[in-house]
Amino acid sequence: MAESLVVFDNVEKRFGDTIAVDRMNLDIRKGEFLVIMGSSGCGKTTTLRMLAGLDAPTQGEIRLDGRRINDLATWRRDTPMVWQSLALFPFLDVLQNVEFGLKMRGMDRARRRGKAMEWLDRMGIAEFARRDISQLSGGQRQRVALARSLVTEPEILLLDEPLSSLDAHLKVRMQAILSNLQKELGITFVYVTHSQSEAFAMGDRIVIMSRGRIEQIGAPVEIYRTPHNHFVAEFLGSSNIFQGRMAPMDGGLLPIETGQGRFYVNASGAGGKQEGASTTFVVGNDRMVLSEEQPADARNVLEGRVIGEEFVGATVTIHIETDDGQEIRAQKSHDEIAHLNTDVSTRIFVSWLPESAYVLPGE
Amino acid sequence: MNRNWLIDWSLRAYVILALAFVFAPIAASFVFSFNADRFPSLPLGGFSLRWYEAIAEDPLVWEGLRNSVVVGICASLLSTALGFAAAYTDFRYRFFGKPLYLALALLPPTIPVVIMGLAMLAFLSRVSLSGEIHSVIISHVVMCSPFAMAIIRMRLSQMDPSLEAAAWNLGAGEWRAMFHVIVPFARPAIFAALFITMAVSFDEFAVAWFVSGLNETLPVRILGFLQGQVSPRINAIGTIVFLTTMTLVILAQVLLMSRSGGVDETPRRQEP
Amino acid sequence: MKKVTIFGLSFSLPLLLWQLLFFAFPLFFLVALSFWVVENYRMVPDFDGVNWTKMFGRDVFWDTYLRTLALAAGASVLVSILAFPCSYGIAFKLSANLRRLAIFLMIIPFFTSYLVRVYSWQIFLSDNGIFNAAFGLLGMGPYTMLNTDFGTMVGYLTLCLPLVVLLQVFGLMFVDRTLIEAAHNLRCGRLRTVFLVVIPSARVGLVIAALFCFILTFGDFVGPLYLGGGKPPTLSIMITDTTKAGQQWPRAAVIAIVMIATLLVVAFSAIGYAYRKRA
Repeated sequence: MAESLVVFDNVEKRFGDTIAVDRMNLDIRKGEFLVIMGSSGCGKTTTLRMLAGLDAPTQGEIRLDGRRINDLATWRRDTPMVWQSLALFPFLDVLQNVEFGLKMRGMDRARRRGKAMEWLDRMGIAEFARRDISQLSGGQRQRVALARSLVTEPEILLLDEPLSSLDAHLKVRMQAILSNLQKELGITFVYVTHSQSEAFAMGDRIVIMSRGRIEQIGAPVEIYRTPHNHFVAEFLGSSNIFQGRMAPMDGGLLPIETGQGRFYVNASGAGGKQEGASTTFVVGNDRMVLSEEQPADARNVLEGRVIGEEFVGATVTIHIETDDGQEIRAQKSHDEIAHLNTDVSTRIFVSWLPESAYVLPGE
Repeated sequence: MNRNWLIDWSLRAYVILALAFVFAPIAASFVFSFNADRFPSLPLGGFSLRWYEAIAEDPLVWEGLRNSVVVGICASLLSTALGFAAAYTDFRYRFFGKPLYLALALLPPTIPVVIMGLAMLAFLSRVSLSGEIHSVIISHVVMCSPFAMAIIRMRLSQMDPSLEAAAWNLGAGEWRAMFHVIVPFARPAIFAALFITMAVSFDEFAVAWFVSGLNETLPVRILGFLQGQVSPRINAIGTIVFLTTMTLVILAQVLLMSRSGGVDETPRRQEP
Repeated sequence: MKKVTIFGLSFSLPLLLWQLLFFAFPLFFLVALSFWVVENYRMVPDFDGVNWTKMFGRDVFWDTYLRTLALAAGASVLVSILAFPCSYGIAFKLSANLRRLAIFLMIIPFFTSYLVRVYSWQIFLSDNGIFNAAFGLLGMGPYTMLNTDFGTMVGYLTLCLPLVVLLQVFGLMFVDRTLIEAAHNLRCGRLRTVFLVVIPSARVGLVIAALFCFILTFGDFVGPLYLGGGKPPTLSIMITDTTKAGQQWPRAAVIAIVMIATLLVVAFSAIGYAYRKRA
């Protein structure tokens, strides 16, 4: 395992009576692209701000390279940040913005000009060096903000939803730029976002937070396929969630009694749970099989009515409501459902294989 | 819709009437400052610069002007500095008793000038600071700093609050961030505050009259003329003072307009 | 960043200290001063209620008090009423550019000398002044306008009209226009809409405007003295006379404290009324 750069050791942050971050333990490794994801108010930005020294932890310890930095002023840390608003200085031109950090470190004019120009060149915006910030486009501003933060050659770069103001097209391009930049520089990026697509596109590891706590840490595929608990599964929205109780083993498969009937999962997924224990399992939207007739040999079948369709690129997500009111989502390619009638109110069967189900270990 | 049309236009006419009332004395004092008659009235007498000559030859007017300029410059520098500091405090900090702090900072213009004058006179003479030019400066700083604070505070509220944090984050300590980020951002408002407070100080007569003793400022001299017999010299001084203060105000306005392009967010909501 | 730092204090303290020392303290000192006594034309620190009993025992003080109160209250009502059609016109009947221009023009008077404007009104109002010259051409007059209550009101109007208009305009601009359209849509006539919808919605702005008018006119001595003649005086004229005439500052302090107390009562009741919940 790679070396730790930053350690959050039982860190808590309170604002008055509200707990923004609750006893957090987190290792950030050298050279990784870590994404902290969660909805607004989950404590992700507070975590980043504590790392930058803009908020001080109420309890616990934050260590950078093994050194406690709780009480180190922001301006004595080397933790540059790219802000959601970008926070470019409107009264300075592009070059002056980029060299700001070097100037504050007392570097002489000629050298800092040179370094700043080097970075502008690297970001492909050298020709705008003497422009005012207000004359730049959104994407160009992003690059200025990046150059301004990276020009001091830090070990770590903090990014607070920097792409949220860009349109979708530009966002994808900036994601690629950020990913490549991080690989080239080999430094640690800590990236805060509420956007799943950004997180999964760029992150080496993803931290999912909710109400000040970490719900799961892991590689994107890991989180996507094997969510730790109900919250993560629901937050990602990529799986159907079923709750029930374990029944005795049946022919190498583990039956689970739910409100919708008895479903089978692979025995290996039981995770050492006792018979009768309450349990939650998920089935990926894309693992659902649809048919007009009741499938003969399927072990896990539900019947329901189509209530709507949602088109995203090459796939369609079909929303189905079972007779007892649970909503099921099935994500299919256009080809796969070409022969099916998916008009609203059509009756339809949903089935899945036992190996497609995953029992949540955290429930 | 004929009736609506009538109502709309009579309302607009009324606006013009109100503006006429407001500007009548200003215009009249301009016109009559060039009028030769000793007792200004209609019809106009001949064109003359005698009132300008009269004030130009009056050493008291010159002394008043000198005092006014000194007071105006000192009061505007001091009250802008104090107002800036208070505006920054309000912008950045939350603390116990802040409403009280703001009340203390902003209340002086609501106290009648006569009472301010009496209070300042009584207090300053008790501590032997009365009757001098610095007594006027002290009082004017009290009265002007709320204006400076309000102007600069409005500018700061246009600032992205992460701008200052971004400077810290890039290695600037609080003092360096202040001079490299906050001050440059607020610069147009700082200049506007300097001009506006100078204009306020330049026009203030009541408190200055109470505390200035023999060191009369120009408006106090005008009060002296008013107490004496009616004299068109007031018109001449008034015209000069009006042109001076308007120059200051327009300069402030131009500064606020031209440099306010520094707001990097989308333009604020237009008034409805 | 909760800590108290030298940096923070060096920004928060200067104005605080200045206003405590040169604003709050002088006002408190007036209270102390009102209990001092004057002996042989010199003020002596004391704790004697004599100034209070002397002032309160004089009919002329109470007459002046009531007269000043009536003048200021009358001016607040009069100026508010005269300003309202103008503010309404600026807020609702002008294009955005013209509205900005009108607002700018209303700001200009703040930077002209009130004294010069008052003197200028003397030229208009005096017995041989512009107005009487104009009336004479029509075969009317002359009318006495200077040194009357009418003159005082012209002074008050000069002092307050621009500010009252500005405050009313800001109050009116916050009125939700859909409310007005909704009222018209419900067949509420124009005038009734103004009284039933616009004025209640803009109440805070209108009351604050009237309050500022009261504060300004209650404390003004230039208008009533140089346009109203100063006889009988107002409280402000009384203060200036008492202060400038000799060493009777403690009595002037009594008047000042009574004025401040009155202003506080009026201000708090006005603000209470402005923000009162609708029954």
